[in-house]
Amino acid sequence: GKWGYELVGPHLLSPGEAVLRAATHPKQPPTRMALQHFDATYSAQLGALWPSIRVALLSERKYGALLNHFAHNLDVEELQARGCKDFISNGEAFMFPASADHRSEFRPEEDSSSVSTVNHGGGSQQPSSLRLSPNIRCLVFPRGDVTRFRPARPDKFGLLSYYLLDAASILPCLALDVQESHTVLDLCAAPGGKALALLQTQSVSECPALSRSSSNSIQSGFLCANDSSVSRTSRLKRVLHSYVPKALLTDDKLRITSFDGTIWGEIERNSFDRVSSGHPIIFILLLWRHTNLIPASLQVLVDVPCNTDRHSLMENDNNIFSRSRIGERRSLPKLQAELLLAGILAACPGGDVLYSTCTLSANQNQAVVQQAVQLAEEQHGIQLQVISLCPLTQMFSNTFHFAPNLHLGEMVIPHLAANFGPIYLCKLRRLT
Amino acid sequence: RLLCSVSNQTSSVLQHNKRNSPELSLRSLLDMGFTEYQAEQLYDSISRMKGRNAAKHVLSTLSALFVLGLNPTTVHKLLDKCPELCAVKEMQLQQRITQLRRLGFVEGSLQRTVSHYPKILTVPIKSVKSVVQFLREKCLFTTQQVAEILRDSPAVVLEDLDQLEYKFQYVYFRMGVKQAEMVKFRLFRFSLDDLRCRHTFLERRGLYQTPDKKGQTTMINPKLDRILNVDEGTFIADVAQASPEEYDVFQKLLAREWKDEEFEHGSIESY
Ligand SMILES: C[S@@+](CC[C@H](N)C(=O)[O-])C[C@H]1O[C@@H](n2cnc3c(N)ncnc32)[C@H](O)[C@@H]1O
Repeated sequence: GKWGYELVGPHLLSPGEAVLRAATHPKQPPTRMALQHFDATYSAQLGALWPSIRVALLSERKYGALLNHFAHNLDVEELQARGCKDFISNGEAFMFPASADHRSEFRPEEDSSSVSTVNHGGGSQQPSSLRLSPNIRCLVFPRGDVTRFRPARPDKFGLLSYYLLDAASILPCLALDVQESHTVLDLCAAPGGKALALLQTQSVSECPALSRSSSNSIQSGFLCANDSSVSRTSRLKRVLHSYVPKALLTDDKLRITSFDGTIWGEIERNSFDRVSSGHPIIFILLLWRHTNLIPASLQVLVDVPCNTDRHSLMENDNNIFSRSRIGERRSLPKLQAELLLAGILAACPGGDVLYSTCTLSANQNQAVVQQAVQLAEEQHGIQLQVISLCPLTQMFSNTFHFAPNLHLGEMVIPHLAANFGPIYLCKLRRLT
Repeated sequence: RLLCSVSNQTSSVLQHNKRNSPELSLRSLLDMGFTEYQAEQLYDSISRMKGRNAAKHVLSTLSALFVLGLNPTTVHKLLDKCPELCAVKEMQLQQRITQLRRLGFVEGSLQRTVSHYPKILTVPIKSVKSVVQFLREKCLFTTQQVAEILRDSPAVVLEDLDQLEYKFQYVYFRMGVKQAEMVKFRLFRFSLDDLRCRHTFLERRGLYQTPDKKGQTTMINPKLDRILNVDEGTFIADVAQASPEEYDVFQKLLAREWKDEEFEHGSIESY
């Protein structure tokens, strides 16, 4: 039967009996375990917002099409004709004439920089305005429109025209504010959506050979995309190869590695030569070897493994809530904090670190950031400043729902009419 | 007074029969007590029906309806709603009325049901029987409950039995609602899709829970009445505590989920 038991027959089961039969199915599936867990923790954490988020999480999500500006994009016009809009450039247009009812969801600006526990900056903390790369474009169907995207088609060079992802997962990349000449480390990069967005900031016209010969400074961008999982790293490679021209996949522009992101600890303990105190040597050595330079500053994206709320609620395969993975799930916050700390160590003073997850869990979001910031100071004497993401949330309030009153970082919460997220992001600047 | 007028109309129908005229005339309709307008309209729609049989049965149908005690205005309205009734054979019509009486339609309720839902007299005895049997044997409704269901939701006799079974099971198992409440809150008046959509919306919002093996829930589920017998605005705002925008999108998404499911089942079956 439809619900795992049979009614057909001369006698009727009482609802109790029926559920009993249903319960003879060996175990609760992981998706159910996840739902129970979320009901308990998120309703406490999110209060009245939870029902609305819950129904969105349990219903079909919305995608965005990250446009591949390396491809000759024939699909774009067709998508635009169907009502699709680039939420990034349109967000900018919306920035000033804000709609009153969305605005009201935001906390006042002063609040955002009042994270006293982690704000060691001392100086004033003006929310920096964003300089968004015009090359990152992401099309979405308007609010309430549930049209699906077709799979992208390859152009005549075999490059795909767009990459489908949760549109909110572009935000961490935008928040990192990567410019063409930046050096970026993507610590947990597979399957590669964010790495692809980061690579969009580079332009094809720039010939790698030229910039290489130019001088001692890194003129063109360099991306190190790392993921500890070998199989996922090869998926990342496949993705990049179907979107990025070979000219940009050269060693001096991009490195794909498969290290455990937390490895800095071991290396330090084994007291390798240090380039300078606190640098995670492996990445620095990589950069050294491939660019002949230590970058002035390094931007680090730390997009950690987490509860992956949507996946956990919808798919039983490879589900973090399955019984066999209880230990792994419980130790997620620890792993996350280690990865973030590694990212902090990798960023040179002046460099930015962006922490992101796709869970609503405060334990895996704010708590992890707090812990990592504390460890950075206590164990490494590193001072960090929380960078306000208010300009970002204001710019995109017409596309996403943001959680109100988060004391640290920002979070896109799912809503049926704009069913993106959850995405949590928090930006830290390394001061020392 | 009522009886008197009934016998008047009946006799004029009978007279007409006696005259043995093959065609129903406008005159005879007027004789039966229809107003000019009603008579013309009725005459028109009958003439548009094809075949002599249709016209022949009009008389017996009219007579049967008058015998039930319905007045010309009601009869006119009812035939306007359900012209097929004019094509039903006299015998069948009589049997169907008798069957409804046996199923517990007392005077008054029978007339009410027939005037609101004349289609019930176009349904073969066998179909009604199988629906009744289904309700009693598969769903364990009492005889009295079945009568109540037929009275409140006569359209149930035309529903596909598989659909009906699914609806019942859905409400009984998924929603944990007992027969008495299904009857009381007129479950069978509502389409399965509307019901499922509202319930699923509540369930995904965490406001409705399927009872566990002891029939218990960790929250108090809203009563079936609060889900079915309220208009959409009230349902969204008060019961689901959501916004119209959310429900609007949800309906679109759910319809697509069902379509995808059907498609999946279809493609599995065709292998
Ligand atoms: C949320 S996913 C990253 C998604 C990716 N940034 C994107 O946008 O497509 C987290 C990734 O972290 C990787 N991971 C888990 N533990 C890690 C570790 N210790 N070091 C590096 N990567 C790790 C997983 O293999 C997984 O691919």
